[in-house]
Formats: sequence, structure tokens, C-alpha cells
Amino acid sequence: MGKLQGMSEASVTNSAPVRRKLSAGPLSRGDKWFFRTASIAANFAFVLVALILIFLFIQALPAITSQGLPFIYGTEWNNSKDPIVMQIGPMIWGSVLVGALGVVFATPLAISLSYLIVFMLPSRSAKAATTLVDLLAALPSVILGLWGLFVFTPVAAQWSSLLNSYVGWFPLFQVSTADNGFLGSPFIAGWIVAIMIVPIITSITREVFSQLDRDLINGALALGGSRLSVFRRVIFPTSSGAVVGGVLLGLGRALGETVAIFYVLQLSFDFNWAQILEPKGGAVASMILSKFGEASEEEVSGLIAAGLVLFILTLGINFLASVIVNRAQPWRKI
Amino acid sequence: MSFAPRPSVQPWARVNKSRKSQIFLASVLPLTLSALIVFFTGLDQNLALVGVFLPLQLVAASLVGFLAFGRRGVGDSFLIVLVVFLSTFVLVLLVSVVASLVSQGAKAFSWTFLSQNNIYVSNTTSLDFGGVGHAVIGTLMIVGLTTIVTVPLGLAMAVYLTQSQSKTKGLVRTLTQAISGLPSVVAGLFIMSLALTLGWERSGLLGSMALLPLMLPTVARVAEEALRLVPVDLRYAALALGAPNYRAFFQVILPAAKSGLVTAILLGVARIIGETAPLLLTVPINNGTSWNIFSGNMMTLPAYIYGYLASVFEPSQNRAWGAALVLMILVALLFGATRLLSRSKSLKSKPTKQKASK
Repeated sequence: MGKLQGMSEASVTNSAPVRRKLSAGPLSRGDKWFFRTASIAANFAFVLVALILIFLFIQALPAITSQGLPFIYGTEWNNSKDPIVMQIGPMIWGSVLVGALGVVFATPLAISLSYLIVFMLPSRSAKAATTLVDLLAALPSVILGLWGLFVFTPVAAQWSSLLNSYVGWFPLFQVSTADNGFLGSPFIAGWIVAIMIVPIITSITREVFSQLDRDLINGALALGGSRLSVFRRVIFPTSSGAVVGGVLLGLGRALGETVAIFYVLQLSFDFNWAQILEPKGGAVASMILSKFGEASEEEVSGLIAAGLVLFILTLGINFLASVIVNRAQPWRKI
Repeated sequence: MSFAPRPSVQPWARVNKSRKSQIFLASVLPLTLSALIVFFTGLDQNLALVGVFLPLQLVAASLVGFLAFGRRGVGDSFLIVLVVFLSTFVLVLLVSVVASLVSQGAKAFSWTFLSQNNIYVSNTTSLDFGGVGHAVIGTLMIVGLTTIVTVPLGLAMAVYLTQSQSKTKGLVRTLTQAISGLPSVVAGLFIMSLALTLGWERSGLLGSMALLPLMLPTVARVAEEALRLVPVDLRYAALALGAPNYRAFFQVILPAAKSGLVTAILLGVARIIGETAPLLLTVPINNGTSWNIFSGNMMTLPAYIYGYLASVFEPSQNRAWGAALVLMILVALLFGATRLLSRSKSLKSKPTKQKASK
């Protein structure tokens, strides 16, 4: 500092310093446009959500006014009646059931994958494992549907019959019809959905695990903790917030899954509360796809209303999940 | 001079030689034993995997752990066995998908299948005729149009999230993440209701529009990560030299983050290239080749698979598998490209070199 002052004094004595002209102020014209463009693009996210809501609502309005509130909880879809009856209660519940099953199956898998990648594998094979998980995320859902129908369903049906014969006393694994082949059940659809959301949960969990304080973990190990106790007492409590967020993100994706479970789930407009091996279930998205082909004008409106319900449901869950994930990852905020 | 009594546990002592054989036995014995049980008693394989193999492996590993490290070893081996078992399960699922794709898809795979379209092909036509050429063209055109529109938009969003000082950044980021979970069928319904309201015809263009909300969050999020990897000092240095923000971005940050941004684009394309439901709702299918994205019918690979998937005829099922293999190859190509890019990026040396040369 002192040296600098001395220099300026010296320059004063020689000649007045030439004031350097800044070529651009903080708000030059170019910058204004630069930031304006960026913020228009960013606000497009709001516009997009608003547009989706508005246009879905416009087209769903006829169905909403004619069906009223029973649209959400009723159990009948009959297009031969006059006036037409459209109710999607079992579909909404089916979506929730399949999504919940998917989350239940996927969460242990995702957590153990993240643990393996972050804490057990050397860095090179950890990278390879990450690539494999990303590849799983990149599998198009229609391919999973194809595989699910021809390859996975027979295996899963075998598992279902085993579950039913050994733990069939448990209400969850009961079936009402004895000989149904165990095909097309929420159990199978739940597994397909689980495969789709494992990468989503894994990516969040892995990042949180890798950002954990290594000193904390090493300290716990040095105190004589085993991997299990360190996981239970140190790793899990410190990362559970983000894991919950990741699981919710996965749930949001599971609720909206369409094509992958379209072929492996038998849709039925009859509530299947929790008999997960029974070949009847529901999924709003799959229902929309299956009815769309030969839908009348009124039915299209009903399907769009179903889409609106699905959108509001998933947007709510995803928004909550994003808030949780962002709060649990403070290192992301700048 | 007196020494403290030697502790009974000596971490520095040489590892017990018999431990290697213990570990070997513990990793081989449970598998052989359960295989033998399945072989001789005819127990169901699936049941044996969970009912015999997993408990045996847990017990064996815990035993070795106990012999080596006492109670701590039990916890170690318990967790390791469980984690490896569950992770292997995921790996088996992935391998099963890829293997069945390759083995089933290879039946249909040929140059004819890749190049021809499906005019004059019925459900039972043999695989010597017809193919997915028209679907590949349709997919590439529709996805290409979406990419052209989405990439600048997504990059601008990423710029907003990393370069600007605005207060709504957190909200935009959360909303972007929330949109990334938009159900694909809803994206299709949205464009469909837009078309119904405004009286547009269904066409490839609508399919492109329906894919946009699905691709945008991926591009924006990955691009944001890529831009964030560029050291913020570079930007400050550029600003301090008198560069306006936009020149700092285009001349310093953009070159430094180039490979990450290309990765963002490729991942975005990989995200939408297999989307089925929006295309089924917005693009009318076609058995012939169409180059016109703005009107008329168009075929896409996912719609092709969807159409042949449920058929009871074997040639049609083979067509579905073949098309799925083609789609998977496209995804794998995109994916391999991103891997190559992310391997060759050297974020720290590149920007400084470029600045030095200027």
C-alpha cells in the first residue's frame, strides 16, 4: 500500500496520471441485453408451467363441469351411458400404490449403490459404476416396457407365486382369485418403476455421500465403529434429508411413468387397495394412453382432466422434493 | 525403565496367513452350498437365492469378520455383503436388459431393416422386407428440431443461474428441477390441448414442441453444473480487465466450459430420444417415409416399437426388438460421446493457455 502511494506521488511529480477509460461500465448496453436475454429464458420456466396449467384447464373444463368432484374419487368410466361417466379414483390410487412400491424397492438399492460407489470402490471402478448407473438412467422407458413384458414378467410372476405361497397370510400378499398367473400386478409394475427411479435416487444420494465430512467418518471408525454402525449413526443421520428429497423426486417420476408400465399392468376401474399381487391396478398416465386411441371428444376432455390431476400431483411432489434437496445441499448455493 | 504391557491387539502385526483362506472359503462356500442344495433337493432357484444363499453368505462373512476383528468385524462384513448383494442385483437387471436387447434385436438387425420403410408390411410379413428407416428419419428430425430450439434456451437459463445476481435464482432452480419430473404424457397432453384450442393439425412439429419441456430441464441443469465448474476467478479477471459481462462469458467462460456444455446437449438429446407417450399423443403414425416435419404423418422409433410390441405375431415382436436395439444404439452413441468429452476435458489448464495466447 505504502509503495503504491509512493508511486502515485512520484507520478504526480512527473505528470498527472492519465485516467484510464473503462471500456465498459457495469451496465453497458451489451450487458443489459445479455442479462435481459438470460432472465427472459429463466422466466420461461414460470411461463411454461403457467401455459401447461392454462391449456390443460381450458380443454379439461367440459369434463370438470360435467363430472364434478366424483371425477377424482369415483370408480366408473362408461362412455356408453348418457351423459357419459368418467371417474378416475382407482387410477389415482393405483398410481400412488405403484409409485410407493417402486420407491420401497428402489431406495435400498439406490442407497447401497451409492455406498458402494462412494465408500468402497477405488476411484476408477467407482467411475465405471457411475457410468453404468447413468446408462440405466438413459434407458428409454419403451425399451424397459418391452423388456418388462417379455423378460421380466415371467420371472416376477414366479417370485409373486413364491411370495404368495410362503407369506400369503400377510394381507399385502393375498390374492382373491387363486389361479391368475400373477401377471399384470402392481408388484411387477412397481419393480419396473423401481428400475427407472434407482438412478434418480442414486445420483442425489451419491452426491450427498461424497460431500460428507470425511473426518467425521474417519473419527467414528477410529473410535472403534464398524462400517455398519458408522453408517447407521453417522452417515445416515447426516444425509437423510437429501435422501428423502431424492426419494420424493423418484416418487414424482414414478407417478408419471407411462409406457414402461403400460404393458405390464392390468388396468381396472375397481379399487385395489393393497393386494399387490392381484392382477388389477391403475395408473393415471397409462390409462390416458390406453383410452386415447378411440376416445370421443368428451372422453378426450376427461383424459386431459386426468392429465391435469396428474400434473398438479407430480408438480407438488417434485417442488417439495426440490426444496428439500436444495436445502440439504448447501454447497450448491452460490 | 519399564514398558507398558503390550496390547493384545496389534494392528501392525502381520496379517494372519490363514485369514486369506478364511476369506476365500467365506466367499466360495455359501454359493457352492446353495447350488448343491438347489441341485439335489430341487428347491426353487429364486427362493434359494434369498432363503439359502443370502443368509449363508451373511453368516459366513460375519464369522470371518468376527475371527479377524471381533464385534466390529461382524458389522463390517454384514454391511459389505448386503451392499454388494443389492448392487449386484441392479447390475444383473441392467445386464439382463442389454443382453436381451442384443440377443433378440440381432434377429431383426440387417441393412434392409435399417434402411427400408414399412409400406406394404403387415403383421406377419417376414423380416426380409421392411424396416425402421422411416422411423429413424422421423426421430432424428423431430429430436433435431427440439434440440435446435431447446439448447439456446437451456444455455440462457444456465447463464441466468450462474452469471446474474438476481434474487429469484433459487426459485428458478427449484422450478426447473420440478419441471424435470414432468410426466411425459402430460407434456403430450399439453401440446395436444394447445393444438385443440388453436385448431392446429397434429404433425411432427407438435411432437417437437411436446419434447421441449422434457429436454429443457436436463440441458439447463447439466449446463449449469458445467458453467459452475469454471473457476470464478477467471470471470473476475476478465471483468477486471474491463471486459463486459457478455464478452467475459463468450470469450472466457464458454471456451472453458465447452465440453461440459456439449455434454449437457447430448444428455438432453438422450433424455428425449426414447420418449414415447408425447409422440403418440401428438404425431400421427405413418408407414412410409416423410421428410416434412410441419405437416402430415410421421413415424418415430418409439412409436414404431410401441406399435409392434403387443403383437402376437413373431415377426412383429422381432421388429419391436430390432427397433429397440436401434434406439438403444443411438442412446449408447450419445452416451459414449459424453463420456469421451468428459474424459478429455482439462478445465484447469485449458482456459489459462487460451488467455495466455491472446
